[in-house]
Order: sequence, then C-alpha cells, then structure tokens
Amino acid sequence: MKNGALIVFKKELARFFGDRRLLITSVIMPGLLIYLIYSFIGSSMNTLVEDSTASYKAAAVNMPAVIAAQLEQMNFEIETITPDQTEQYKEKVRSKDISLCVVFPDDFESVMANYNSKTPSSDVPNVSVFYNSSDINSSNAYPLMITTLDSVEKELSNVFDVNALTDDISYDVATEEDTTGTLMAMILPVVIMTLLYSSCVALAPESIAGEKERGTIASLLITPVPRSQIILGKVCALSVMSLLGGMSSFLGTFLSIPKLMQGMDGESGSIKTDVYGAKEYICLIVLILSTVLLLITVISIISTLAKSVKEAGTMVMPLMMVVMLVSFLTMYQTEVKTEFFWYCIPLYNTVECMKNVFSFSIVSQNIAVTCAANILYSGAGIFVLTKLFNNERVMFG
Amino acid sequence: MKEILKVDSVTKTFRLTSKQQRQRKLDQKVLTAVDNLSFTAYEGEIFGLLGPNGAGKTTTLRMLSTLIKPDSGDALINGLSIVKQPAEVRRNIGFLTSDVKLEDFFTPDYLFDFFSDMHSVPDDVRKERKETLFKRFGIDKFSQVKVADLSTGMKQKTSLVVSLAHDPDIIIFDEPTNGLDVITAKVVTDFLGELRQSGKTVIISTHIFSLIEKVCDRVGIIIDGKMIKCSSLDEITAEKSLEDVFFELYRERKGDEI
Ligand SMILES: Nc1ncnc2c1ncn2[C@@H]1O[C@H](COP(=O)(O)OP(=O)(O)OP(=O)(O)O)[C@@H](O)[C@H]1O
Ligand SMILES: [Mg+2]
Repeated sequence: MKNGALIVFKKELARFFGDRRLLITSVIMPGLLIYLIYSFIGSSMNTLVEDSTASYKAAAVNMPAVIAAQLEQMNFEIETITPDQTEQYKEKVRSKDISLCVVFPDDFESVMANYNSKTPSSDVPNVSVFYNSSDINSSNAYPLMITTLDSVEKELSNVFDVNALTDDISYDVATEEDTTGTLMAMILPVVIMTLLYSSCVALAPESIAGEKERGTIASLLITPVPRSQIILGKVCALSVMSLLGGMSSFLGTFLSIPKLMQGMDGESGSIKTDVYGAKEYICLIVLILSTVLLLITVISIISTLAKSVKEAGTMVMPLMMVVMLVSFLTMYQTEVKTEFFWYCIPLYNTVECMKNVFSFSIVSQNIAVTCAANILYSGAGIFVLTKLFNNERVMFG
Repeated sequence: MKEILKVDSVTKTFRLTSKQQRQRKLDQKVLTAVDNLSFTAYEGEIFGLLGPNGAGKTTTLRMLSTLIKPDSGDALINGLSIVKQPAEVRRNIGFLTSDVKLEDFFTPDYLFDFFSDMHSVPDDVRKERKETLFKRFGIDKFSQVKVADLSTGMKQKTSLVVSLAHDPDIIIFDEPTNGLDVITAKVVTDFLGELRQSGKTVIISTHIFSLIEKVCDRVGIIIDGKMIKCSSLDEITAEKSLEDVFFELYRERKGDEI
C-alpha cells in the first residue's frame, strides 16, 4: 500500500508546479522584486550623495586667498565683493540667487599672521556666514563652509592630530567579516522572518481554507487515508513551497544588501556577502526549515478554523504582529543569550540563532535546541490539526 | 436477499449559531435534521430517498458516508459500523454529492489516478478500470482537460467515475441528476441500472418523482427528518401514482400548508 501522506504530498506539489502563474507569483517574483527594489533604493541614494557635491555660489568679503582656494576645490564659486556690497549680496542669498555670503573682518589676515597659540586672547575676530535655511542649496553649502572654516582655524592652532595619517593605514581594525556580520545580524533575521511568514501566509490559507470553501476537502475525507496522513502530506508540501518562496526572497535580499549599503554610506567595499561559509549556510538552512514547518503548521491550524480564504487572511493577522514584534525586539539587542530556555521559545529562538549565525558566533547546541523545539511544536500542531479535521463542526460547520 | 445496508434509528441534530437562528427565524437552538431514522437496503437494488427540501436526505447520506457522525443510532454497511469502523466503511462505498467537488486545477485523468492511489488500487487494475469507465462516459475525449474548463455535465460524469475508482460495492448518490440536461441525466440514470445489473447496491436521494419511478426498486419517503413510509415501489404505486401518495402523506403531516 502506498503511503497516503506521500500521495497527498505529490498532489499538492503537482498543483503548485503545474500552475505557472502561482509559481511566478510565489517563487520568482518575491526574490526578483526585493532585489530590484533594494538595488534601486541603493543606487538612488548613491545619486543623492553625488548630488551633494554640486557647485555652490558664494560671495566673500576679505576672504584670504588660501581659504578661497580650498573652497574652490570643494566646488564653491567664490565671488569677491567689497564690504559695502554686503547688504546687497545678503539680499541675493535671501532670493536664492547665491547660496552664501561670507564676511571676514578687514584686518583678518594680519591678525592671523600674528596669531600665537601660546598666548590665547579673548579678542578673536569673527567671521559671519549668511545663509538661507529655506534654500536647499544654501542649507547644503552652509555646513560645508563651516567645516572648511573650522578646519582652517584648527590648522592655525594645531596642537595634535587624530587619525590624520591617511597613507596605508586603516584605523578601523574591524575586518570585512566583522562589519558585515554586525550589520547582517541586525538586518537579516527581521527580513528573513518577515519573508518566511509572508510566503507561508500566501500558500497555506489557499490550500486549506480554500479547499474547505470550494468543497474539495470532502473528497479527500471520504477516502480511507487517515486524516493525520492527509494533514502530514499537506503540511510537508506547503513547507516545501513556502521554503522555495522564502529562499527566493532571501536570495534577493542577500544579493542586494551590498548595493543598499553602498548607497547608504556612499562607499563600497566594507560590506561583502561572500564572507559566510558552508557552516553558516547549513545552520541557516536548518533553522529556516524548522521555522517554516512551524509557521505552516500554525497557519494551517488557523486556516482550518476559518471558513474561507478571506477569513483565514484576517485570522492570521495577530500571528503577523507576533512575528514582527519578536524580530524587531531582538534587532538591537546585542548580548547573546546562553540559557537553554530562551531557545525553547518559538520564533524568538530562531531569530536569536540567526543573529548568532550572521555574526559568526554559532553555538551548535543552541541551534539544535531551537530546531528540536520547532519540530516538537510542529508535531503538536499536526496533532491539533488532526483533531480539527476530525471535528465535523470545524470541517462542515 | 442479503441486507447490505441497515440503518438503525440514527438521529442527527445541529446546534445553530445565533446567526443561523436569526436567518431561519427559529427559536430553538438545536435543529433535528434526521430524527430516529431506520431503513434497510438489499444487495443489488436501487434504493431511493424521496423528500422535499430540508427533509434531511443529504444529512442522512453524509452520515452513511462517514463524513459526519450520528448523535445516536448506527448503520451497518456490509456489516461494518459507520460509527466504529469509518475507515473500513469508506473502502466499501462510493460517495457522490454536490458538496464533494473536484479540484478545478486537475484533469479527469489525474484525478482518477489520484483517488485510485488514495484507495490503494493496484496500478494495472486502475489502468484497465480507467479505460473502461472513461470510454463508457465519453471522458476519454476530455480526459486531459482541466476540470475548471469542463461543462456541468462533464464535471458530473467525471465526479461519478472518480467516485468509482475503487470499485465500491455500495454507491451513495445525492441528487444524481441535479443540474444535468436530459441527455446527460439519461446517461447517468442508465448507468445506475447497469450498476444494479453488475450486483452493486445504489442509494440515491432526490425530490424528483420520475427519477424514483424510473430507476428505484424501493423507496423511503422522508419528511422533517422522519421516515414516513418505506417499501417497494410496486407496493407504494399499486393504487395511486407516487406523486399522489407523497402529497397525501405530506398533507397528513403538515396540514394544508405548503
Ligand atoms: N451543518 C449544518 N448546520 C446547521 N444546519 C444544517 C447543517 N446541515 C444541514 N442542516 C439543516 O438540516 C436540515 C436538513 O438538511 P439536508 O441538507 O439534509 O436536507 P435535504 O433533504 O438534503 O434538502 P435538499 O433537498 O434541499 O438538499 C435543513 O434544515 C438544513 O438547513
Ligand atoms: Mg440535499
């Protein structure tokens, strides 16, 4: 005799793989969309950064030539004006014709030349920078100007430098691995949990509440195959499908994160996704597998209780909240939990383990506990499902 | 004659939700759909359950097919209890009703194989059976078309054939001709006769007098979940037509309200 669970499993997969539209929307699209969206965000942030180096027009009174030269390197167009033109150019700043108007005192250069850092005086010259906070160009130019002037001032009274030697020295001693690990550990568990949840929710209600709604479930229930086997076949098939969807989304995220990061800090190189080895991937796959099984079982229970796909959709909302909450709560929590019982809490255990995997601090024992707990809960869930499938009020209410 | 189905005082009640109570304008919380119902069907006959809408026909057949359990009473199918041995009962029956639908996505061919597997039919037997049945109903012409794209008649034929995949001794058929045109209906009723010929027992439910008159050997009239009359068709129609007998009984129970 063939195994009933296997027959149902094969049928569910035949349904899934035979439907090109379903396959595209639940496997190919999620990963592709995420990849495209993240890459797009990354590259548009990159252009934003580039935009900030656009040139600015500024008027200056009594500006020392050294400073002017330095500013011109930073894409400032400096127009030298006389002190009595100040008011007129301030008006130009207000009307957004130019970005800044900088006024140095008349004797600025001679004061600077005589400056002695050992005899500080309270009577220091003041430089005024007029800007317009309602003009984007002016608001961008203002901090640039201030930083430049500040650095000129510091150079004049230089006592010591910090991290100023630029040749061949990287002051950040973190390796590429460390940087990537910290970042991935923060972002990816949330992303993965959300993606897994959404791919489970896209499939299970359709397969269970949908069959109830359409009246096709009865045709399975009048066969001699025990209901526990029908459920096992369905849960396993749904897990495989969700896993494919989850994997696709994960790949999309994983591959596009370097691009996203590049856009955020304007520099590339510090984030690399090829720092993870076989050990990390195996742990990740095991974790994802057991979590998908658990999620599918829970969503299946909810779908069985629902009368229609729509109702199931509403009923799974609280579960989504829980998934989101658990993932986000742990996002900024840096200490690694060592106690056994933390890894028995469903969902939380997976997030915690994934964080460890991404930051290269795998504790095999914790991962084993997590997977065992997830499988145990899924088993209990399948038992509950069998009870529900045997309940005619639930099935034909 | 061998008793193949023995229904022994089965009762089925449904607890109504307050919403259902409001919809049906009922005061009581519990609806008795089938009330202490008993009847017997013999091997090789076609037994018809006749009753108006809401009489409890479908509920009775669902209990016989083990989809739902009776509150009290029991029925023996081939000597197997529907309450205590549901899995064994399922091997012996083919069940066909409007609430057992086929998945739109699959083809008749796939579904026949699938349900054969679910009933553990050996591959060679399945192949031969499929060929015979598909030819008999003309399904071979659309065996590779998805159920979604079939007409009502084609769907009904497919459902019928699929429910026979495991060659059951007893076929339970709720409203076999519902929604079918005269031609498809004739194909189905003719087939019921063939099934009887080959020694199968068929239980059908309907509210159509002519169907009963055409195919049934014995008939049970159900009103409000109770068996009002149960005997052979010849006996019932000895003096009056089936229709007259039915309305007479109906008036006796319900007065002149219709
Ligand atoms: N799951 C259920 N919950 C509540 N009431 C139900 C349920 N199933 C059936 N009923 C009620 O039980 C009664 C008998 O229903 P049943 O479907 O058996 O009638 P029927 O004889 O098949 O009628 P029809 O000719 O309309 O198909 C009806 O009043 C019906 O509304
Ligand atoms: Mg009915």
